[in-house]
This record gives sequence, structure tokens and C-alpha cells, in this order.
Amino acid sequence: MGKANIITLKEAAGMINDGDCLAFSGFTIWRRPCQLIYEMLRQGKKDLHLFEVQGGYQSEVMVGAGAVRLWESSWMGQEILGKTGVNLSRKQVNGEIIVDDYSHGHAVARIMAGACGIPFFPTALAMGTDILNPEYDGFGRAGLRDGSNPKIARNKYEIIKDPCFDMGDILLMPAINPNWALIYAPMVGTEGTVRVLAQSYNDSDVLKAADKVIVICEEIVPDEYLRQEPSQNLAAGHEIDYVVVCPWAAHPTGSQGYYDCDADFLREFNKVTRTQEGYDKWAEEWIYGVSGPDEYLEKLGITRLEQLRASAALGYSTRTKRGTR
Amino acid sequence: MTASNEYAKIGEFKPIDLLAAAAAREVNDGDVVFAGTGLPMLAIALAQNEHAPNAVCIYEAGSIDGRPIDLPTSVGDARCAYQSSKAGGLFETFYGQLHSGYVDLGFLGGAEIDKYGNVNTTILGDYNKPSVRFTGSGGNADINSFARRTVLIMVQEKRRFKENVDYITSPGWRLKKWPTGEWAHKKDVYGKFFHGGPTAVITNMAVFRFDEEGIMYLDTVHPGFTVEDVKNNTGFDLNVSRVSGETTPPTYKQIDILYNKVDPEGIFLP
Repeated sequence: MGKANIITLKEAAGMINDGDCLAFSGFTIWRRPCQLIYEMLRQGKKDLHLFEVQGGYQSEVMVGAGAVRLWESSWMGQEILGKTGVNLSRKQVNGEIIVDDYSHGHAVARIMAGACGIPFFPTALAMGTDILNPEYDGFGRAGLRDGSNPKIARNKYEIIKDPCFDMGDILLMPAINPNWALIYAPMVGTEGTVRVLAQSYNDSDVLKAADKVIVICEEIVPDEYLRQEPSQNLAAGHEIDYVVVCPWAAHPTGSQGYYDCDADFLREFNKVTRTQEGYDKWAEEWIYGVSGPDEYLEKLGITRLEQLRASAALGYSTRTKRGTR
Repeated sequence: MTASNEYAKIGEFKPIDLLAAAAAREVNDGDVVFAGTGLPMLAIALAQNEHAPNAVCIYEAGSIDGRPIDLPTSVGDARCAYQSSKAGGLFETFYGQLHSGYVDLGFLGGAEIDKYGNVNTTILGDYNKPSVRFTGSGGNADINSFARRTVLIMVQEKRRFKENVDYITSPGWRLKKWPTGEWAHKKDVYGKFFHGGPTAVITNMAVFRFDEEGIMYLDTVHPGFTVEDVKNNTGFDLNVSRVSGETTPPTYKQIDILYNKVDPEGIFLP
């Protein structure tokens, strides 16, 4: 019988080294490990390499802080709560970050190859696009494909002829095996079993692909509770390395079954961080000027958090005002 | 206003109502539809409430055939997964559903489009020194490459309807065949993986379709606009020889469904 290896938020962030390759749980504005990101920034982590199936609030925060050197992904934004990733846009236009673009399906292929321990994954998605234009291979142009970094493949992709059924050209997309998977999940069992309460996104692929896994959760529950319905679980205890307990750790992103995403907070972030001065002021208020999660939650206040709390029946809040009527 | 099947008159509907109705008309009953956030959610819900009750909606974050009782604001929303037949992840939607060939129809958008239906959602200018960064592909390129039909919803402006887009994020009918980059028809690029491609473009002024060669032509013009208006807001030489008439406006019943059943909270509808 295993036992969840519970550590503090500060210890978790402290294990991550400058330059490490990171991948996250969640999807755009859902189930992102936000408190872990804030603590990493307070500790001054830098030169990070993010592989994301798609970006979202947490990576916008890291990119805005100047902590990210390499970003490879398919998308950045906050859906209707911020239609583009304004921080990535600013850094990319200014030449302050190295970017490599994929399609969503390509990124899924890469993390799945990593999860399976195979060096590449075949796909015919998004062929014929400029995503595959050799002139636009961002990492290649930066000289990063010389084999010296084990987290960066020698080729962005390879095209082969299907050798089995003569289907025609098909892409081989290289695996990605990040140093760390930073996973937010609402529940972790006493033996480390992990559960999420809605769509699983790429969470299990991300945690299998990574060398080491930190799960930040709302609460520890008896493992026997999670084992009553094993088909509902995301990961087994032996797949994860460290657990941090931190209520509301995904705020302002949503955690289905626990709380909704904080639309006002996300909209405001996207609005005020369009300039670096705006970002710096915002980050001083919500990250650097805050000692940790407790002070952050106190700043938000009980009224706001209660509005976000999910209905136990529906899994999302019925008290937030979402539209104009 | 009674909720009849009569067509609403100019002034009785907003531009977005007509867009939603026109997009909903592209959904056939029984279609498996891959939809994104915003207008596509209105279109699929309207179609399911009217002529396409058996349409199945897939959201890329992982929910399949959900029956939301509250309109989602994100494809990752718990609301998408309410009463879904399955809720998994992106490997299921992009490979288990899309790559394996289940998807009939996709709704997509973009910042720029060319006459072949190639779409740019990534950057403006030179990719290696861009002047603006947008979201990037997300699922746009994947859905355009593998759905049997795609409907592109765009804003009609000269700078967006271009002879050549700055970056081909998402594949239309004529593409670059890598590694050389020579232009080729989509069928030549996709081989036996070919499923189809863009079939309609819907803007705030008009509906466009694609001919046998995969070149865009003007089909219908929305009430209140002229063919000249559309030409003046298109940056390439537009084929207007096949115009079939005026775009059908929404019915009173459709407006009632949109405002009272689909989006009563006013999330996407003003």
C-alpha cells in the first residue's frame, strides 16, 4: 500500500529548476495549478520551457512575468474572457520569447507519444499548413534542434509515406517528456489516487509523459472512497510523486464540482496586462505583494468565493452573473 | 411578436440573429458537429431545437453529445458535459472522433481568409517577426483538415478577405505540400485521408460557397446589403456570377428560441 507524499507549496515550487520543461493539467481556463505558478514566480524561477497542449491563464501569467524562455503549443488565450493571449502576443512581437506553433491535434499527438514512452506519434491532422513550413520552425531557427537538449527533438516533424496501407503522406510528431507535470486535481486519495470531476482533458497524458509529477489538490480523501468507483479516477498513486494540499488552488480558473471560473477576474487580467507596466502592477497586487494562498483568498473575500462555489447537483455555480440579462 | 415560422423583417432582428440562423441552417439532422465557443454554440443549439434534433455536438475539450441546460461559456465548461454520453479528453475528440472520421461538420472562425478557404488565426506579418499575435491554431487546423464540411464564420472586411493570408493556420482547398511547399489541391496533400473541406463562409454581409475547383464564390447577400458592398469589402477578385439571391432572415420562432431558450442570460446575444 502506497502513501501520498505530501509536501508544502513552498517545497514543491522550490524543486523546480530554472530552465526546466513544464507541462500543466487543465484546459484554457479550467483546472490550472495557479497557486503553484504564483509561488514559483515569488521564488524567481526563470528561463522555463513550457510545452502546452493549449495555453491559458496560468501560462499567460508566467509569460507576462518574463519567466518563460521557450513556449511550444497550439493556442493561447482565455476563450471569451480574453480572446487572445495578450502577454504572449506582447513578448512574441517584441522578440522576448521563442515560440513554436503546432495544431491542437499535433500537440495531443506529442504528449500522447510521451505518455506511451514511444518517440513519435503518427497523424494526418493539419497537413499542408504553415505550421509545417520549415522557415517557421521557431526552435530550429533558434538553433535548439542540435540534440543537446533532451527535451527538444532533432526535427519538428517528419513526413513519411504510410508503409502499411498506402494511405499516402503522414506526419510523425515527436514525443515530449517534460521534466515536470504540474497538475491541479480536486481530490487525491491517501494512497495518491487522483480524481477529477469532469472532462479529463490531457491530464493523464501530461502526468504520464513527465519525469516527475506534482499534484496540487483541494483535499485529501480516503483512498477507499476513490476505489469504490475506480473507473472515475485519473491516475494511480504510483504515477505521481508529490502532493500539495491547497484549497481554491485553481482560482481564477474553474474546478468542476468545486467552483466555477472567476470570469470577472480573468476578464480584468486580460484587460490590464496588455502592457508590461499593467502586468507588473497586476502581478505586484496578486502575486509578489501576497505572502501565499491564505492572503490571496482573504483579498478575494468570502462573498466572491461563495458566488463561485459550484452547485453540488450541477458541478458549476448557479449564482454568478454570466451575461447581460 | 408571435413565435411563428414567418420571417422577421429588417429592424426586427440583430445581425447576430441572422448569423446564428444562417449557421444553424448548415446543420443537417444527424450530423456529428465539432463546435467552438460563441456563435457556433448558438447555431448548434438552435438547429437541435428546430430541424436537427438528432445532431450530435462534440466540444474539443472532451464532451460528446452533451445536453446543456445552461449555455456554456467555454468548450471546457462543466456545462458542456451535462448529460453527455461520454466525457473524456482531447485524445478522444481529436483522434477517437475527428481522425477516425466521425465528424460531419465543423464551425470555425479566423482573422484572415483567402479564396481557397485557407484561414489565418496565428499572426499578422512575417511569422518570424510578427506585428500581431492571435491565439494560434487550437483545433482550427485539425477540424478544417478532417471534417467532411466546415463552415467558417468571419467578419467581412477587405483586410481580412485577402489574396494571400499572412500564415496558413488552417487548410482550405489549395495548400502547400511540404517539405517543398509547392501549391497543391487538398486531395493531393491528404491522399486517402481526404474527407472534405470548407463548404460555406458566413459573414455579417453575405454567405459564400466553394466551386468544384475549391474557389470561393458569393452565394447570398444579407438583407440590407448589396453585391457591391460585398465586393468592396473583399480583397480578392470575387466570383459574383452565381449569386442565388438574398440570405433568408431568421424566423420569429428562431429569434424566440435563441433569446428565451438558448441564451436567456445574454452571454453571446446582446
